[in-house]
Amino acid sequence: MSEDFAIKVTNLHKSFKLPTERSWGLKQAFFNRLRGIKGFKEYHVLNGISFNVKPGEFVGIVGRNGSGKSTLLKTIAQIYYPEKGSVEINGTLVPFIELGVGFNPELSGRENVYLNGALLGFSNKEMEAMYDEIVDFAELKPFMDQKLKNFSSGMQVRLAFSIAIRAKGDILLLDEVLAVGDAAFQQKCNDYFASLHGNQTVILVTHSMENVRKFCDRAILIENGKIVLDGNPEKVAKAYMDLWKK
Amino acid sequence: MGIPLVLCKKNRILLKELTKTDFKLRYQGSVLGYLWALLRPLMMFAILYIVFAKLLRFGNDIPHYPVYLLCGTTMWSFFTECTSQGLQAMITRGDLIRKVSFPKYIVVVSSTLTAVINMLINLFVVIVFALINGVTPSWTWLLVPVFLLELYALSLGISFLLGAINVRYRDVMSIWDVLVQALFYAVPIIYPISMVAGTSALAAKVILANPIAQAIQDIRFNLITTETTTTWNFLDSWALKIVPIIVVIVILIWGSLYFRKRSKHFAEEI
Repeated sequence: MSEDFAIKVTNLHKSFKLPTERSWGLKQAFFNRLRGIKGFKEYHVLNGISFNVKPGEFVGIVGRNGSGKSTLLKTIAQIYYPEKGSVEINGTLVPFIELGVGFNPELSGRENVYLNGALLGFSNKEMEAMYDEIVDFAELKPFMDQKLKNFSSGMQVRLAFSIAIRAKGDILLLDEVLAVGDAAFQQKCNDYFASLHGNQTVILVTHSMENVRKFCDRAILIENGKIVLDGNPEKVAKAYMDLWKK
Repeated sequence: MGIPLVLCKKNRILLKELTKTDFKLRYQGSVLGYLWALLRPLMMFAILYIVFAKLLRFGNDIPHYPVYLLCGTTMWSFFTECTSQGLQAMITRGDLIRKVSFPKYIVVVSSTLTAVINMLINLFVVIVFALINGVTPSWTWLLVPVFLLELYALSLGISFLLGAINVRYRDVMSIWDVLVQALFYAVPIIYPISMVAGTSALAAKVILANPIAQAIQDIRFNLITTETTTTWNFLDSWALKIVPIIVVIVILIWGSLYFRKRSKHFAEEI
């Protein structure tokens, strides 16, 4: 039954070399070499993470700031390369981990839709076919020919969200996207997530325990680059809250 | 991952859309817009023409010298625009690199393609001026794309190589700026090569062993006048004649391989 996973993460390690002093230039690199200074310090962000995600499972990943959640998500998304361990993916990955990536403030709303669509792999024609639906969902029809810089931040996120949910892929990776727009739009987003439940493999990185309880089949708590707890969302949400009680 | 010649559908879409965006953004917010793609090189040409052809009286021995000069400056602008845009592509598109997984070379290629479009527009102007100036169209015009491709291959190789280093060391950008200035004088764009050959034949040979000079001279030879001194009719041994070609191939392959090797770290380093 080797095919019975959507994502298989095995003993994942990742560290970053962060410069101790400004070594971001040739001069500093040269002097550091002369003085025998490495010029960077290694930070181990992921320390041996292993888990499997079954097809159709909705998994939440929670943890404090800096615990390694986003790095984990980026490594699964193949933006970062693991140093040790491996990530195996069964199916196609939606390459979005953040909303509105590649949005350009100098382009109009319409142009940004097409550009953003291209990042998701949609051709001009395919985007034309779903353009109206996207705009309707975002409730931004009167603004689409305005430059994006004239959109409010809420409007931008609404537009980005409306495009992102068009993405077709077996696995969706999401980083903190649920808190968008006003109450009415949030309801729409919630409906969308509820509709994903059971049909789509989703990994969601979030700080909202309410969303973990509402949407996830399973949750994983990460602390210092290691999995502390993996299982029932209710239990994980409780453990997450307890992090601050100690 | 690599630098495949045939792009899969998804990458092709992305390349097209990014190129379109780059081109749109280049002249965003200016009154004359795309017209600047034409005006800028023409104005540069006007300055060089007044200074070198009229005041210093260069190129009296070259037929159609004004068009010859325009052709040279157009190709030079192409090379500099291509490399400086390609070199900075990773930085300007940093947000994509940090947040989306896709073959990174697309970013470099899309930004150089804008330079290609600009060059093609300007080449059209060169041809119009050539006809006005009395250059007769010839079959050798069909050879011009070969050398344009060579110049593009060189620019792309440099963009990959220096662009990859530039992610880590931003100094590369400034160094390249200065180097391009020096190169401008090392390539016979404003002065005819005969002027150099008059004082030192060796210097003229070294100049023509430079692939940029070779490509530009060949384009002039085939497009404007067969009296152009080229690498082929000036260097005597075959071993020397193929130096420019070898340099282009080596830079393109080396640049691509180095870029590919480094590209997995771009997301963290940028």
